[in-house]
Amino acid sequence: MTSSAKFENYFHVFRDIIRSMHSSTSLKEVLNVVVIKISEVLNAKGALLRIFNQETNLFEVRAASGLGERYLSKGPVTTKKILSASSELHKVLIITDIWNAPRIEYPQEKWDEGIRMMLDVPMAIEDQMIGLIRIYLTQKRSFSRDEMDFVITVAEQCACIIQRVQLAENQQAHFTHLATHMEKLSSLGRIAAGVAHEINNPLGGILLFSSNMSKKVEAGSPIEKGLKIIIRETQRCKVIIQRLLEFSRDKKPKKIPADINDIVTTALGVVENQFYLRHVTVEKHLAPDMVKTLLDEDQIEQVLINLLLNALNAVEEYGRVTVKSTVDAAQNIIEVEIADNGCGISAENVKKIFEPFYTTQSTGTGLGLSVSSGIIKNHQGDIRVFSELEKGTRFIVELPILAENTTERKAYETAEHTGY
Amino acid sequence: MKPLNILVIDDEDVICEACELVLSEKGHAVTVRNDGKAGLSAIRQGTYDILLLDMKLPDIDGMEILRTAQKEKPGLCIIVMTGYSSISNAVQAIKQGADEYLAKPFTEDELVQAIKKSCGNH
Repeated sequence: MTSSAKFENYFHVFRDIIRSMHSSTSLKEVLNVVVIKISEVLNAKGALLRIFNQETNLFEVRAASGLGERYLSKGPVTTKKILSASSELHKVLIITDIWNAPRIEYPQEKWDEGIRMMLDVPMAIEDQMIGLIRIYLTQKRSFSRDEMDFVITVAEQCACIIQRVQLAENQQAHFTHLATHMEKLSSLGRIAAGVAHEINNPLGGILLFSSNMSKKVEAGSPIEKGLKIIIRETQRCKVIIQRLLEFSRDKKPKKIPADINDIVTTALGVVENQFYLRHVTVEKHLAPDMVKTLLDEDQIEQVLINLLLNALNAVEEYGRVTVKSTVDAAQNIIEVEIADNGCGISAENVKKIFEPFYTTQSTGTGLGLSVSSGIIKNHQGDIRVFSELEKGTRFIVELPILAENTTERKAYETAEHTGY
Repeated sequence: MKPLNILVIDDEDVICEACELVLSEKGHAVTVRNDGKAGLSAIRQGTYDILLLDMKLPDIDGMEILRTAQKEKPGLCIIVMTGYSSISNAVQAIKQGADEYLAKPFTEDELVQAIKKSCGNH
């Protein structure tokens, strides 16, 4: 092979790998392309890609190509000690003596597979070890500097994409945790309110009868003493229920003059990564003449994130979600529309989506939209949905334009202080 | 205290029975209804001094009964009772024109006190 043909070959392999990194959503697919292509271009028997798991301190096999079942079945993990010993983060380690190299775990199996030489290519970002690609060759040979540069560049690219996916996964896990926590609290509120009503009625009976009876018995008698205890303990139950209600009651919105365009931008920032990973395009059309209105920024952000994630779940890969904000000065309202070109909701189900505990997602709690609708109602706004099966869904959040009224805020602050 | 004509509307039998016992012992005449519909017709047909009204009924919202009672019987004293012991509910009921508010559970003394106060207000 001429040197220019060789370079062209490298270039093609590199292009294929980068292309798969940009078009594929599954990390597994990308890693498979990497091991296959890298073995091909180096004329190797095969390659094994391990990712370092910081929690277990193990290198776990995530992709393999060209290796016998007998060897792979030896176990999918290798400890950090073996693979990081005497390895430099950005340098390829060439192993020619497979019988005596300290990091070779099963030399016999390797020899039987016809392996005579190995390259350990670290996948690293700065000083952090992300993983390792091991390339297996059936004959010993020397490697040019270009070849080494090529494998290192591929490994570095690979490290970047692994780190990106891991970051996104962590973020997603964190977000899911927060969302579930919020929904749990809110469902606790509903349950507490229901339970409070159910229990306060029988307690009402107990308290009325016992307080009535305590007046009919002789003062200081054991019966009077017993009745007084019943009265006291019933009142204690009342306090416990009251505290439970106070704890779980939906928080009142803390409204300040805010620009909804800013809240839309923040909400998009939170979910951006998840859209990116699924190749879903977000189109943003924000009204340039947006006016400020009284909003609880956190609560409105929560509603928008919820609607955005619903839209994301509704569309296929490469779907499209549009976010639009508008001002209607004549009607004194602002609107945010979140539309998707996804699967849509049947007319029958559209009626149910704001009901608590209604969900079509296997992991959903069915509280997202009911909580969102509650928040918008607390803002004297409205949330509407238009949907058509296989065409898509449009959610419109409508909010009144309210100017800050200082007297009202003072009254509100006082009321909050006194518990009203 | 002069004997009064009192109507109790609550779907909970135990509350109705307890109120009936306590109030009749004080010399008042007590009528009990277990749902909104029967309650409304009692309000329209009878002559009562005081209405003890539960806000959560199986058929009609307590707020609606409160409004109807005020419109049709402006002289009637209304005491609302609720199991949700939230102050905002009480404020809302008082704003709508209720005279007094009782958070369940309440004692005999609290009930008698509420009746005395609502009569004084009117």
